[in-house]
Amino acid sequence: MSLPAPADPVLEVAGAVHAYGARQVLRGVDLRLCAGEIYALLGPNGAGKTTLARAICGRFEPDDGTVRIDGRNPYRDRHARTALGLAPQSVALYPQLTVAENLEAFGRLAGLKGPALRAAVQEAMEVTRTDERAGALVRTLSGGLQRRVNIAAAILAHPKLLVLDEPTVGVDLAAREAVADVLRRLKARGVAVLIITHDLDEAAELADRVGFLIRGRKVAEGTPAELIAEAFDDRMEVQADVSPDLPADARARLHDAGLTEGGRPGAWSCFATDGYARAASLDSQLKAAGVAVREIHVRRPSLEHLFERLIAEDAP
Amino acid sequence: MSLAMLKVMALSLWRDRAALVMAFLLPPLVFLIFSAVFAGATGESVRLKVALADLAHTATSARLQKALLADKDLRAEIAKPSTLAEVREEVRSGRADAGLIIQGDPDQPGSPLLILSDPSRAVAAPLTEARGREAISKAAPDILLARQIQDLKPALGELTAGQRANVTLAEDQLIQDPASAPKIAPLFAREDVGGAKKGTGTIAYYAGAVMILFSLFAAMNGALTLIDERRSGVADRLLAGRAGMGPVVTGKFLYLIVLAGAQATAIFATAQFVYDAPVIEHFWLWLVTTLCAGACSGGLALALVALCRTREQGQMLSTFVILILAAIGGSMIPRFLMPPWLQALGWFTPHAWVIDAYQGLLWRDEGPGELYKAWLVLALIGGAGFALAQAAARRTRV
Repeated sequence: MSLPAPADPVLEVAGAVHAYGARQVLRGVDLRLCAGEIYALLGPNGAGKTTLARAICGRFEPDDGTVRIDGRNPYRDRHARTALGLAPQSVALYPQLTVAENLEAFGRLAGLKGPALRAAVQEAMEVTRTDERAGALVRTLSGGLQRRVNIAAAILAHPKLLVLDEPTVGVDLAAREAVADVLRRLKARGVAVLIITHDLDEAAELADRVGFLIRGRKVAEGTPAELIAEAFDDRMEVQADVSPDLPADARARLHDAGLTEGGRPGAWSCFATDGYARAASLDSQLKAAGVAVREIHVRRPSLEHLFERLIAEDAP
Repeated sequence: MSLAMLKVMALSLWRDRAALVMAFLLPPLVFLIFSAVFAGATGESVRLKVALADLAHTATSARLQKALLADKDLRAEIAKPSTLAEVREEVRSGRADAGLIIQGDPDQPGSPLLILSDPSRAVAAPLTEARGREAISKAAPDILLARQIQDLKPALGELTAGQRANVTLAEDQLIQDPASAPKIAPLFAREDVGGAKKGTGTIAYYAGAVMILFSLFAAMNGALTLIDERRSGVADRLLAGRAGMGPVVTGKFLYLIVLAGAQATAIFATAQFVYDAPVIEHFWLWLVTTLCAGACSGGLALALVALCRTREQGQMLSTFVILILAAIGGSMIPRFLMPPWLQALGWFTPHAWVIDAYQGLLWRDEGPGELYKAWLVLALIGGAGFALAQAAARRTRV
């Protein structure tokens, strides 16, 4: 399922195990990320994504296993962290300062000075397309622009690995596309990008590879297309929207037709190789059974379908 | 790196108008109010409000009442109605600081004057008595002469006819020209310690008291940004970098010292220009004292914030600590008015040391040889707080 691992990964996590007291949070996680690669780490709340990200950022050393950035331990060796940039989930900027002042301050705190600092600030603003608002106070910027400045502050020291925690949470579609564009530019510059997200569409659109972390274990990893193909072959999802208050006999007939209710009440679906033909026959079947059908969709499976399946498979 | 954080803090303050007013306008204003109040309460400019009632209704009592009403050191007013009950009510209700009843003819033996005062205002009765005696001696010395002769009667016996004629003549002359009264050497002589610096002690006291009070308030606000940085993710960002939070804490510490210096400048410039406090004359000692006080408040604030996990905790703890320290240390009430055990306890607060140092250099003309102890205490508190905050910042990594 996985791509062949190229030599010299920028990030290598091997067998990471960690517990908070009696609660096991990471259970032997492996992760490799190479230059110019975008990797999306997916998983439900409490899966261990944030803990893994904190270990990668050198905030603690896992109980067992290793974390290496550019071959060095980010917890023990602070120089390892010069190769790392972090864009936290919240907008981690000083709202009373302008875009340029923020970047200058974070650049200095990253050890840059003089012409190198000025060049880094300019470059970060150009890559994130925030240079036109260089003199604007951050608190006056739109949510999308703040997100881009948040990323700009993380790439000042030219990191080899950029970690982004929910980079597009709470922004509109246009702003999301602008952030995606920034990440593609960084990928083109050879930056390894690790995105921690709940946004499966964003992951499918941007990531070269995705990994699903559930209850501290990586349960699937690969390119989105590979993972979906492996899980669903060439089957398509057929979904029928009916009244959520169906009588028991009608519900039994839907079950008999191979449908399961999920996602939301009244949404019944199944996977079929001949998706469109199955949709037509399902429509006739339901009408004959006296079930009023509001709508029938035929969709190609997505990461969302895979995510739901993985969660269901892992349920205790 | 630390200077970058200092600049961040300074720019954030500069663009927050409300915080600017709080930092630089409020402290001199509070200083002016405190010094005006306490310079009066402890100095020579107290003007008591006294409710008067003449119950004797004699010619002499009328003259005495007139003399008291005319005296500029008293704000004497005749009670309406002019009765004992009304004067008592005015004192009880706080409308008058004290009451003065002329209950008998001042020429006659006994106690013709009755002072009414609230026991909770301990200084009101003796001040009224002293000011009243002064007013009588200036405006109606003949009354005092008559009473002194009455007092001497048991020792000297009855006056002769000639002596009585002389007394009557002297009394008439004093009535016509009170200023012609012979100057009698008072029992007590008085000397103003500090000479030309009369009042500077109180001014220096309150400049120091307000300085440390507000520098602690400002320092707590500045230090609370450490919690904001944890909440906003700035700390996560910096901890993921090479430098970590160390330079951030150092930058904030430097900023808080500079901020305290700026606040102290505003307060002591007011003291210099309004009250002629000799700040410029002692500039270098003032600067060292101010830097030590700033380091103390900055370190203390950073340490307190390091103990807190949330902004709410930080605000609650800072309000509690600042107010308690200010009350014990003398920023609210002059320390010499406190009971001895509280005065002794005050030395465990930075406030007492800051106040003592500023009084020492501006009032007692002390030099480094006397001030070093206060500098050392303040610098040690600041250094310990800073070290604690740095240790806590390292702990934040986990």
